Amino acid sequence: MSTIDTMRDILHNPERLVADWKAQGKKIVGYRCIYVPEEIIWAAGMWPYPIFGTPEAITQADSYFQPCTCEFIRNIFDHALDGKLNFLDGLVLCNTCDAVRHLYDMWITYIKVPDCHIINNPQKMYDESGYKYYCVELKRFKSEMENLSGNGISDESLQSAINLHNQTRGLLKELYSLRKKDPPLISGGEALDIVMASMLMPKDKCNQQLQQLIAEVKTRESPKTRGPRILITGSIIDDPTLIQLVEEVGGVVVADDLCTTTKYFWQEVGQNKDPLDALSRYNTERCLCSCMHPPERRFDYLWELIEEFGANGVIYFNLKYCHPFLYEAALFREKLAAKDVPTLMLEVDHSLSGLGQLRTRIQAFIEML
Amino acid sequence: MVTGATAPGKKSLQTTLEISRAVKAYYGGVQAAKQEGKPIVWSYGLIPREIFHAVGAPVIYLEHLPLLMSTKQLSGRYCQIAEEEGFSRDVCAFHRCFIGCAAEEEKHPYLAKFWAPPDLIVASNLPCMSESKSFLYAANHFNCPYFFIDAPINIWGKEIPDYAVEYYAGQLGEALDFLGGYGYRLDWAKLKEAVALSRRLVYLWREIDEYRKAIPAPMGIVDGLTCAFPLIQLPGTKLGVELYERLRDEIKERVENKIGVLEEEKLRLLWIGVPPFYNMGLLNYPEQYGAIVVKSFVEYLAGGAFDPAIMDPEKPLESLATKALVDIVNPTYQNMIDFAVQTAKDFSVDGQIALVKRSCGLIPGVLRLVKDAVYQADGIPTTIFDLDGMDLREYDDAATKANIDSFIETLLDSKRRG
Ligand code: SF4
Ligand code: SF4
Repeated sequence: MSTIDTMRDILHNPERLVADWKAQGKKIVGYRCIYVPEEIIWAAGMWPYPIFGTPEAITQADSYFQPCTCEFIRNIFDHALDGKLNFLDGLVLCNTCDAVRHLYDMWITYIKVPDCHIINNPQKMYDESGYKYYCVELKRFKSEMENLSGNGISDESLQSAINLHNQTRGLLKELYSLRKKDPPLISGGEALDIVMASMLMPKDKCNQQLQQLIAEVKTRESPKTRGPRILITGSIIDDPTLIQLVEEVGGVVVADDLCTTTKYFWQEVGQNKDPLDALSRYNTERCLCSCMHPPERRFDYLWELIEEFGANGVIYFNLKYCHPFLYEAALFREKLAAKDVPTLMLEVDHSLSGLGQLRTRIQAFIEML
Repeated sequence: MVTGATAPGKKSLQTTLEISRAVKAYYGGVQAAKQEGKPIVWSYGLIPREIFHAVGAPVIYLEHLPLLMSTKQLSGRYCQIAEEEGFSRDVCAFHRCFIGCAAEEEKHPYLAKFWAPPDLIVASNLPCMSESKSFLYAANHFNCPYFFIDAPINIWGKEIPDYAVEYYAGQLGEALDFLGGYGYRLDWAKLKEAVALSRRLVYLWREIDEYRKAIPAPMGIVDGLTCAFPLIQLPGTKLGVELYERLRDEIKERVENKIGVLEEEKLRLLWIGVPPFYNMGLLNYPEQYGAIVVKSFVEYLAGGAFDPAIMDPEKPLESLATKALVDIVNPTYQNMIDFAVQTAKDFSVDGQIALVKRSCGLIPGVLRLVKDAVYQADGIPTTIFDLDGMDLREYDDAATKANIDSFIETLLDSKRRG
């Protein structure tokens, strides 16, 4: 099996890895989203396990959440109600959008086990008072994870977790640099699978796989097909169907600004003699999500990606009822128009209903480019 | 446009009329300030209003202007304008309406009565994403400076820890510095006075609430919603206190004389979620069954659901921070759920009508939690159905009334059967 297939297999069938981990008497902590510092969970000897959705229709969750709640969150809650997340020993959420905050209340009321924790991170970045406040929050979170795991977290173990996770970030960035080529050496659909698998896997295993994968991809022959270079930004995408659709109709997805791709790894945790402080700085100086302020910084980061990857057009993907991205959509379209970047705005549900219509719109956009 | 499906609500109190006049005077004051060349502040989110009153800044609040437009059935028009500006129909209709008001080139004569463009914006993420994001449009459109106040969510319940109070209070201080940069200098004595007045206002509100629990209900939801204006916009002012003293006296007299809105109350209901401001008559609709809506949760959405003793005028910023963070609308929702259980009990309600405003990121998410908690505590049932109280275009009169009819008939039936 090629490395990419191995990674995909783990992403889609993590049960064996989960069983192995549990067999060692170790705990698994689910988390959502990128502002949860995985390093603290790892340093406590637990596996930080990102929760993704699946493209299935919602069943039971609809009697808890109203249908006007982000479908991704309802999908996750459906999995919890179905018992599909029973292998988790804890769940960690953070302060992002309304839907995630609701998930916390729903979880502690109706799911109860495992324990759900929430990190009360600030939403205003680059602010000294927010950073100070967050330092206290992270200390609280650290001690919660120590209690959950039964292990103390020393500065050394935290620093080594940071180093390990930084290595993953660096490797993913190196892999992404291979997308800068024209045409790129990996497709958009592959990139999404690789990053999601990397997010999911314990990082020691993941880093070995990534090194191998980079070596393999470098030996690939350059693909023959060329087309407009597309960057996808917006709400969470946790299934490659939409990206593949863009590629099927002639677009070449060269970069993505998503919480399942670059937002996860674009910046590294800085070096600091106090590793907890380094994490505090990291998470209060990363304005990558539209839940955070100021949006100008998020645009700067998007612009950096557009330039670095030579994108000719942007697809701004909104999940239905994903308020943070929906509110910024008009602003971003205007900013992109001012820089002469053609942009297609899409508002789609998580299960991607109406795929035919979507295909026509994307095709028209690609042809226009 | 008043359609066959919309009608104004019936009010019963004299003080409600005075408060309506105070609303008009408030906006008149903002427009006069604009003409005098004073910078106008737009504020989004439930930032403690006391800071603006303390520095004498004229403010237009996002929460209120769309509501006024809706009472004249104009909210659909403004939502439409916002959608043409690129805003999805799925984002909050309050915010779309406000954005539409901002974007309209030639202001509608009714809007013109209340309108003043912003020179400064002070915004916050309390309580929802809409509050934290829609102001960016206004800041861009009017090219005006803004200050953003980040509110930690309340994961602590009734006791907010010092580090969170300090963080929020610090930002209130920075917001005051920001306002100071545009001529609104802070006088600490005035800020302390504003906090004292605000505390007095909430004590009065609670006293009024005590009277409102009487059977028969001395005041219904239509009066209640108008009377929430001082609580929402005038905390920290003498005017707010005076209006509530008058309201308290009027309602006390009604209770002492056993004057109710209905002669015979068969059912008492609580309204959860945004009422149809474009069709306030709907709130009187249950009265034909002898059912009175005694209270609306919206009245509490900008304060009034906390113990005013937490406010200490000698520590004004900390008091305002605590008040904001402990507010029942600040997620997460244990405080709101506890409050809902207590309110249903205290107001002796037989049932709750809960509305899903499809475009709201906040309230629909708590309805199931509130429904279950209130039922488990006291066996009080809740009906939940779709109704966007702001966007008239989403309104279905027949379906709404059918939902209310069947709920009330079930409640009456179960009461008959004992
Ligand atoms: S997709 Fe949007 S609404 Fe859903 S969880 Fe993510 S940020 Fe929140
Ligand atoms: S709480 Fe709901 S109705 Fe109020 S501003 Fe937020 S989204 Fe809109």
